[in-house]
Amino acid sequence: MNIDEIFDNTSFTIDREPHIVLNYDICTGCDNRGCVNSCPARCYTWSEEDQKMTFVHDGCLECGTCYVVCHRDAFTRWRYPRGGFGVAYRMT
Amino acid sequence: MSKTYQAIVVGAGPAGSSAALVMARAGLDVALVERGTFPGEKNMFGGVLHRLPALEEIFPDFWDRAALGRHIVKKGVTFMTGDSSFTTTIESGNFDKTPYNGYSIFRPRFDNWLAQEAVKAGATLITRATVDDLMYKEGKIAGVSIVGRTGELLAPVVIAADGVLSFIAKKAGLRQPTFNPAQMAVGVKALIDMPREMIDDRFGLVREQGFANEFVGCTAGVRGGGFLYTNYDSLSVGLVFHLASLRVSGKTPYDLLNAFMEQPQLAKMISGGRLQEYSAHLIPEGGYDMIPELVGDGILVTGDAAALCNATGLNLEGINLASQSGVLAGKTVIAAHQNKNFTKQSLNLYKKLMEESYVLKDLKLYRKAPHMLHNDRIYNEYPELMCSFMEYIYRIDGAPKENLSKLFLKSAKEKVGLGNLVADGFSAWRAL
Repeated sequence: MNIDEIFDNTSFTIDREPHIVLNYDICTGCDNRGCVNSCPARCYTWSEEDQKMTFVHDGCLECGTCYVVCHRDAFTRWRYPRGGFGVAYRMT
Repeated sequence: MSKTYQAIVVGAGPAGSSAALVMARAGLDVALVERGTFPGEKNMFGGVLHRLPALEEIFPDFWDRAALGRHIVKKGVTFMTGDSSFTTTIESGNFDKTPYNGYSIFRPRFDNWLAQEAVKAGATLITRATVDDLMYKEGKIAGVSIVGRTGELLAPVVIAADGVLSFIAKKAGLRQPTFNPAQMAVGVKALIDMPREMIDDRFGLVREQGFANEFVGCTAGVRGGGFLYTNYDSLSVGLVFHLASLRVSGKTPYDLLNAFMEQPQLAKMISGGRLQEYSAHLIPEGGYDMIPELVGDGILVTGDAAALCNATGLNLEGINLASQSGVLAGKTVIAAHQNKNFTKQSLNLYKKLMEESYVLKDLKLYRKAPHMLHNDRIYNEYPELMCSFMEYIYRIDGAPKENLSKLFLKSAKEKVGLGNLVADGFSAWRAL
């Protein structure tokens, strides 16, 4: 299973408007960043060089792991995608 | 534009659809609101569907009507290390007789089927609708608003069946504002396509029989475990991790899942299969102590939203508890309509019914299990101990033999320490 090929295996209807929005300043000051390793879809990437967090909502499985592991409340928005958008499981 | 109902159910999973079904059958005008394009689209699980007494009461032929997979006749537990495994299985003739003890299912099919039963009973299913907020009129719950849509759905009572994160319960002030990662687990799963005959031959199954196995020791020291079960023509393989432990481990769920699938014994079970779908979901594993307030003025909380999940390490129950809670919430709302009283005091009937049912009784009984499972030795040292001890028993190579009980104590002393062994045994005995 290659997480880079998540779109080959799991279906998504991607909304242009992200359902999760981060305040990246909080991520920069975070001493933990458990979201980076814990997210099952690898939506979070931390660049040590740029001291910057990147978040991409496209392959989000809407599981809520980041919402629970973030202890700095870095989310300016965390909600489920609008109706009809997001991940669409077929056989699970 | 707004539309008025007698009750609104948020979420068409097992809890919500069960609630809507009961209320619709009693003649209430019910809205069942679902954010997916169809019920079950957002849902996944990694286990076995067990008996559903509350639904069986409504449909005596439930198990003939439902969208089910194989019935599970064989259950196993495997203690695993990097290249060894020790498995015990139980296969029982009783598990092969109706009423069956458990089934493998696909949530997008099962949940959709249950929601359609609620529709047949008269409920209005509204899909593609993510609930944004609760609406209040004169201090009382009056309905819900939908993300990105103008207009509202109105009703004097709302059932929150919106799943593990339940933003509805949060907005009503019924659940804690933040979650404790020590009370949550994340499950990841690979759905692996495989011809039906290959599955039957490989796992020793005939007819509609199925197999389900749990694994411990397969998570590289992260607290958690693995599972594998058979669908008709696919295998579901996955891992579950406690979030507090995963967060500090620095390891990723997909790397650990890949390592699990590459472990030599597991690799043999899934070889010849093809990955079809990857999914993830949270599990509320805090047990009884995690349950929020179940009732407020004009609102009831059910299923995962109420953290109704019983994880003892051997079984993982959730859908049965969800469905039971949905039925009891539905019955409470029916009574509330008869009395025209939707105050917390009136809806407290739900709490009473829950306390009388197996849902809260079982969760109370296993209240200490989540704590017991927060023990790193279960996930590392014990599987190693089991595998190395069994390997010794079966190794015959001319080396002089040692007394087995002495040997067991010796390796237990090395791997876990005797004090820990006694303490862990006592804690498991008390918890289970």
